[in-house]
Order: sequence, then structure tokens, then C-alpha cells
Amino acid sequence: MFGAMPTRLVLATLLCASLVACTRRPGCVGEYCGTLVFASVGEPEALLPPVAQSAVARDVSDQIFLKLADLGSTTNTIGDEDFTPLLAERWEWAGPLTLVFHLNPRARWQDGEPVTAGDVVFTYDAYNDPRVNSPFRTGVRWISAVTSRDSLTAVFRFRRRYPEMFYDAVYHMRILPGHLLRNVPRDQWQSAAFGRAPVGDGPYRFVAWKAGESLELAADSTCFLGRPHIRRLIWRFTPDLQVAVSQLIAGEADALEVLVAPEDLRRVQATPHLATYPYKGSAYGFLDFNLTAPGDSTRPHPVFGDRDVRRALTMAIDRERLAKSVLGEHAVVPPGPMSELWWIWDPSIRQLPYDTIQAARLLTARGWIDSSGDGVRERNGTELAFRLLVPTTSAVRRQYARLLQEELRRVGVDVQIDEVEFSVFSQRAQAGRFDALLQVWNTDPTPSSGIAQTWTTEGIGRSNFGRYANATFDGLVEQASSSFDRPQARRTWRSAMEVINQDAPGVFLFALENVAAVHRRVTNVTIRPDSWWALVRTWRIPPDGLIERDHVER
Amino acid sequence: MGLWLVRRVAASAAIVGAVVTLTFLLLHLAPGQPFLPGAETPIDPAVVAELRREFGLDRPLTVQYAKYLVALAHGQLGESFALHRPVAEALEDAIPNTLVLTGAALALDLLLGLVLGVYQAARARRLPDVALSAATLFVSSVPTFWLGLLLLLVFGEWLHWFPVGGVVDPVLHHSLPWAGRVADRLWHLALPACTLGAVGAAATARYQRAAVLEVIGQDYVRTARAKGLTERRVVLVHALRNALLPLVTLLGLSLPFLLTGAVLVETVFAWPGMGKLAADAIFRRDYPVVLAAAIAASVMVVAGNFVADLLYTVADPRIRVHGE
Repeated sequence: MFGAMPTRLVLATLLCASLVACTRRPGCVGEYCGTLVFASVGEPEALLPPVAQSAVARDVSDQIFLKLADLGSTTNTIGDEDFTPLLAERWEWAGPLTLVFHLNPRARWQDGEPVTAGDVVFTYDAYNDPRVNSPFRTGVRWISAVTSRDSLTAVFRFRRRYPEMFYDAVYHMRILPGHLLRNVPRDQWQSAAFGRAPVGDGPYRFVAWKAGESLELAADSTCFLGRPHIRRLIWRFTPDLQVAVSQLIAGEADALEVLVAPEDLRRVQATPHLATYPYKGSAYGFLDFNLTAPGDSTRPHPVFGDRDVRRALTMAIDRERLAKSVLGEHAVVPPGPMSELWWIWDPSIRQLPYDTIQAARLLTARGWIDSSGDGVRERNGTELAFRLLVPTTSAVRRQYARLLQEELRRVGVDVQIDEVEFSVFSQRAQAGRFDALLQVWNTDPTPSSGIAQTWTTEGIGRSNFGRYANATFDGLVEQASSSFDRPQARRTWRSAMEVINQDAPGVFLFALENVAAVHRRVTNVTIRPDSWWALVRTWRIPPDGLIERDHVER
Repeated sequence: MGLWLVRRVAASAAIVGAVVTLTFLLLHLAPGQPFLPGAETPIDPAVVAELRREFGLDRPLTVQYAKYLVALAHGQLGESFALHRPVAEALEDAIPNTLVLTGAALALDLLLGLVLGVYQAARARRLPDVALSAATLFVSSVPTFWLGLLLLLVFGEWLHWFPVGGVVDPVLHHSLPWAGRVADRLWHLALPACTLGAVGAAATARYQRAAVLEVIGQDYVRTARAKGLTERRVVLVHALRNALLPLVTLLGLSLPFLLTGAVLVETVFAWPGMGKLAADAIFRRDYPVVLAAAIAASVMVVAGNFVADLLYTVADPRIRVHGE
């Protein structure tokens, strides 16, 4: 009696709770229902576009805030013909350095105020303000001024003429509501309250953000771009990718933008309710050689300062085999320092071949000989050895490091792996305190800024960690970036890539071919490689495909 | 008692002060730097330099330390470098989650550990005791993240009995009436609390078994048996009270864990608590959040020891605080 009483009480309470829990309000039916849950490994740092740089912040912000125009499906960044209108319904050039945007008069902020040219002027001013310290500031550096001609006409003036003027004018900035942000001190934008409860002009409006748990947006049925078919978007934050994949398989989430590990891809492909969507990846990974002595950029590196040794090491690595064994079918060897996203991608670009015999000959010719018979070459008493810096946070790079160690051991090179946490990795990379490191770059859609920042002399002290410098390469990059003629630019980029491939300042190991997973009930799925969920407003869940969570009213 | 209390408070304040100072120094001396992008995106060093200036990291360490202490004295924990929000707000979000998770886990740990320990001691060296000893040794040796992933795979992904991580169902929760919301929270709490509680309970059971066995052979227990009391009454009423002292020690040690949380379990179950917040902050070199977490943890350690000392006096009347 004494023991049974509490048990009955607990069971009765749980039963009541379950019954009440099941009694929900009647749900949404028909078109324009649908709730899409994204499993997200990251969480936005803020939803104020000038101060938020993470991919997930970009994904969410792109639903709330609109650009003037956006990249088209070709992802061509030269000229303006491949761009699609968003806030600007049309535009024209009023001279070689003047671009005029005409805003859509139906565009409204979600508080009912009209979107005006004054907002565009305000936005440019904010992105360019040192007090805001936007990481996108360099993207708008060639714009000299933005003014408003009338309430719906914004005029951009440029400092110089170049092929990606339009791209710079529209791609980096999401237009902000001046009337809501004007009174927020610019030096406090990094932690402004607006960044956690934004008001935008896009197809979705902000509903709620529970830190570490989830973020919810609701479709704005009055959006001038058309009413989005999917009514609710929820980002469910999960710090572990394995758990995110499990949520997808268990039906607790509907979409995941990138499946990295081959095993995860197999698990998802074996799940009947999930469909996979391959798309071009924006990342490439490489073994970066430090061409100067670690910590002393005035002296050449004792190993990598020699171009022939770098070439020999490149030829000693079977990049195809490594990519397949670490990343499976969804990675390829890039024809240079580039991601698949770039329009200059061309597998026929000349590269150094995989040729261990030639590699061994080259090392011997440079005086590196295994005279002691211990399997490691030496010259003047110095062993052919280096330390490879790898971040502990990347399982892919740690795996690559071990395979590279094995590959290079076969030609008499001793590689010691230094695994350090990402913060230390990044600090040592920027300070040049490394022999070699395994790096991955996520690229934006244009090679012009990415290559300049990471591989030219201009990038030394920024993101050209290995301090590669070749005037011919720099000249070709400058020439390619300045060409308005796309076929001509493509030829010049090809020449530039062949120069860097022959110089071998790094070994370009893999370029990812991404695969997204989305629930099969969702149709019209289009994934844009540079901004995965940018076109979610056009996705649809047909009425006969709705599942329980699609009916739920908040 | 009054003097003892004053001494304890003074010593506690000194300990917290030392923790703040040491954490501050170690953080700044350790390699690595804040303000890095989350992914491998090239970042302009000028932007990083400006952020360092804005947050005062370009000033001498002594100036930074003095400014931090002054702000702390005014109750200000500063702005997080990485979260773009005040540290106090981030703590406000994380602390309740951690208290719920670790509170539930601790309750499970102590209750299950106590019951198992007493049961094993009452049947010492017989088959149930041997089997449970092996089982508790196995469970206490299992890494919590591994157990968590296993439970997620079996009960979440395969059987769909429990959700795969999270604190609440992000779709349904807000549409539920209050009782449904409570049930939803409990449903999400079950697996992480069991993971954390089971590992703790296994260890507690082993301590408790040893403690009960130690007192069960003493004279007063023999006297109780000689008086004709039932074995249940002998163990549960007479032996158990004196065997509770190790449990009090464990409870005292566990209190700080209530706030610092369990990093791995929080990560596996996407449970946004203090442990996860502090671990992320360490990796990102988010100094203000790390310092706030260190302060919270040290306060809890001091408070935990204080509570444990008081509980000793309740559990064992022979123990008196200094000064009495």
C-alpha cells in the first residue's frame, strides 16, 4: 500500500500530462503550410549582417534582409547580366563609374515602413564605417559614394572601373532599416539588441531565438517577392555533426546543408524519407609550404625555399587516392588553388603529375640523399624533415596528415605532425611559425578577391601564410581580374594557375563536392552553392505531403 | 560559530579572487587568440586589430586586469567576444539548463547509487552483489560521451522513443498547453540525465557499498540485531545513517558540477548549458565568458564545501564546527 501509492500518483500525473499534451489547437492545412527544420551545427553570432560573418548567420539573414540584386544560377560575377533583381527592380549605368538602382516601390520593412533609397545610403555608410568594423568593408572599398536621387533611386559611384563593380555593389551588403538603426551608436553594433531581434524586408520575419536551442522565422505573406510556400523555418542548433545527421535520420529535422563524411552520406542515402542534392562546393584544402624560415620571414625556409624540392614533394603525393580514401566520392583533386564554385574551374589546367620516381630523382639531384640508410634523406648533415601543423578540430585534416606522412616517408621525407587547437593553429599560421600546415579555404563566388588575398604578394601579412611571391603570377591575377571579356579572363586565369602549379607553393589536395540532404516531402529544392538556403522562399511542400509538424500552429 | 563563519567567508573570497587572477593570467599567457572566424574564411587582419583595440586587448595586461576588477566590482561581467552579447545574458540562458540537467542527474546518481550500494552491502559477496559490482564497475568506466551517443543511437535514431538532443521540441513546444510543455521538457531531459546520472550512480554505489559494509560490522549494529530488529530496520535505520557520511562528501564535491555542467553530455545532447558555454569560450579565447564561468565555478566549489561541512554536523552529531 505504502509503496504503490506514489507510483500510481506518478503514473496518473504522467497520463494526464500526456493527454493534455496531445490536445492541441487545430492545425494548418492546404497550401502555404509547411515547417522546415534545419539541423545546424553552428549558431549565428548575431543577425545584423554587417557584423556577422558565419555561414549560418548569412543563411538566416538572407531570409530576413534583401540585397539589391543577387547572383544568378550561373554564379557569374562579371558584369551585371547574370544577376537577378531583389530589392532593386531594375538598374542602369549612368556612365562608366555610376550605377543607378531603382527600388521596387512595393518593398516594405516588416514594421510597415517603405524601403527607401535612404536605407541604401544608410547601409553603405554603415558597412563602410570604421566604428562598425564590418568584415565586409573591404568588399565595398572601390565604391566612393552612395547617394539617393529620390526616395526610390540610389546612385552608386565607383573609384575605378573593373569587371566586378556590380557584384561589389550588390553582393556584400544586405539593405538595413535606417529608421530602426539610426539611433544605435555605431560602436555598439557588435552587440546591438537589434542583432538578436531583427526587423527586415525579406520573405521571412524574425519570430524567436533561444540561444543554443533554436531560431524561428515565419513567412511574411505580404512580401513583394511573393508569399513563400513554406510557412515556418526553424534552425535547430546541434554542436555535433553526428547528432545533426541522427536528427535528420530520426525525422526530427528536414535539411542539412553539407554531409562531410562518406559514412554520413551512406546513412542518409539509406533513409527512405531523405533525398540528397549534390552541388558545387565552395571549399578547397591544401598542404601549405612556408617558403620562409619559421618566425623569420627574411630567410628562406631550409626545405621549402627550394622550388625543386617543393615540386618533388608534390609529385610524391597521390592526391587522387588520398581524396578518395578520406572524403569518398564527393571530393576531387583541384586543378590549382580553387574551389568548384569558381567559374574558372577547369580540370585541363596543367598540374604536376603523381610520379614518385621523378620525385626521388629530383630530391637526389638537389643533394638530398639517404646516405645513412635510415630511410630519411639528408644533406650536409641536415635531415629532410619538417613539422606539419594540423588543427585538432578537423578530423579530415588529421586523417590527411597521417596519410601524407606515410606517402612522404616512402620518398625519404620525415614528417612530424603537430596537432594543435584551432585558435593556436590560426595564430601560428598568421605569424608564420610553421614549416607546413594543412589549410582549408572557404571561398566566396569570385576568384579575384580570394586568390589575391591568399596567394599573391598583396596577401602576405593577410592570408598568404606561406608567403608565396611570384611577380608573374601576381601580374596574371591582376590581368585576369581586370578583364571584362570572360573568355579572355578565363584564359588568363588558366595561365596564372599553371604558373602557381609549377611553382608548387602548396599541394592542392581536395575540392569538396557538397551534398545536402532534404526531406522528400519538400519539392522545388534548389541549393545555391554560395548561399545554401538562399532560394528557400521558392521551395514547396504540397498539401498531400504535409506531416504532423507542418500542421502545427505556434 | 560567528568567528568560524567570518573566517570561512574571508577564505572563500580569497579563493575566488585567486581563481579570477590565475584564470586571467593563464588565459592571456596561453597561445591562441580571440576574434577568429568560425570557419576557414580569410579575415582581414585590420578588422581583428580594430576588434582588439575596441575590447582593450591592445592595452598592457595590468591595465586590462585592473579594468576587469573594477568592472567586476560594479557587477559587470563584460561583453562576450564571440557571442555578440553581454556575458550576463549568456549565463542567464545557460545556467537554468545546466541546473535542470545536472540537478536531475545528481538526484538520479545519489538515489540510485544509495539504493544499489545498500542493496549490495546487505547481500555482500553473494551473486546479486557480485553481478552488480561488475555492472557498476563497467558503467563507471564507460566514457559519458560514448554512453550518450549509444543511448541516442538506440533510443533516439533506431527506436524513436526519445528525441535526438535538444531541450524542447522546437516545433511543437510552443503549441502545447503547460502540462504538455512540462512533459516535453521531461521527455528531452530523460536521456541526458540518465547518461550523466548512470555513470555517477555506478561510482556512488561502490562508495556506498563500502561505507555500509564498514558500519554493518560494528558493535551498535550487532546490538540492534540482538534486540531482535528486522534486518531491514537494522540496515536502513541504524547502519545507514552512519554510512551516509561518504555520500555527504560526494554531494559536497558534486555541487560545483551543478553549475559547470558536463561538457561532453551537453555537446552530445545539444543541451546549451554552462559546460558547453565555457568549453566553447575556451576554444574561441572568449576571455570574458571564460572568466565568468571560472568565477561561477569557484563560487560553487566554495559553497559546496560550506554546505558539505554543515551537512556533516547534521549527519554526525559528534562533528562540530571550529569555534564551538
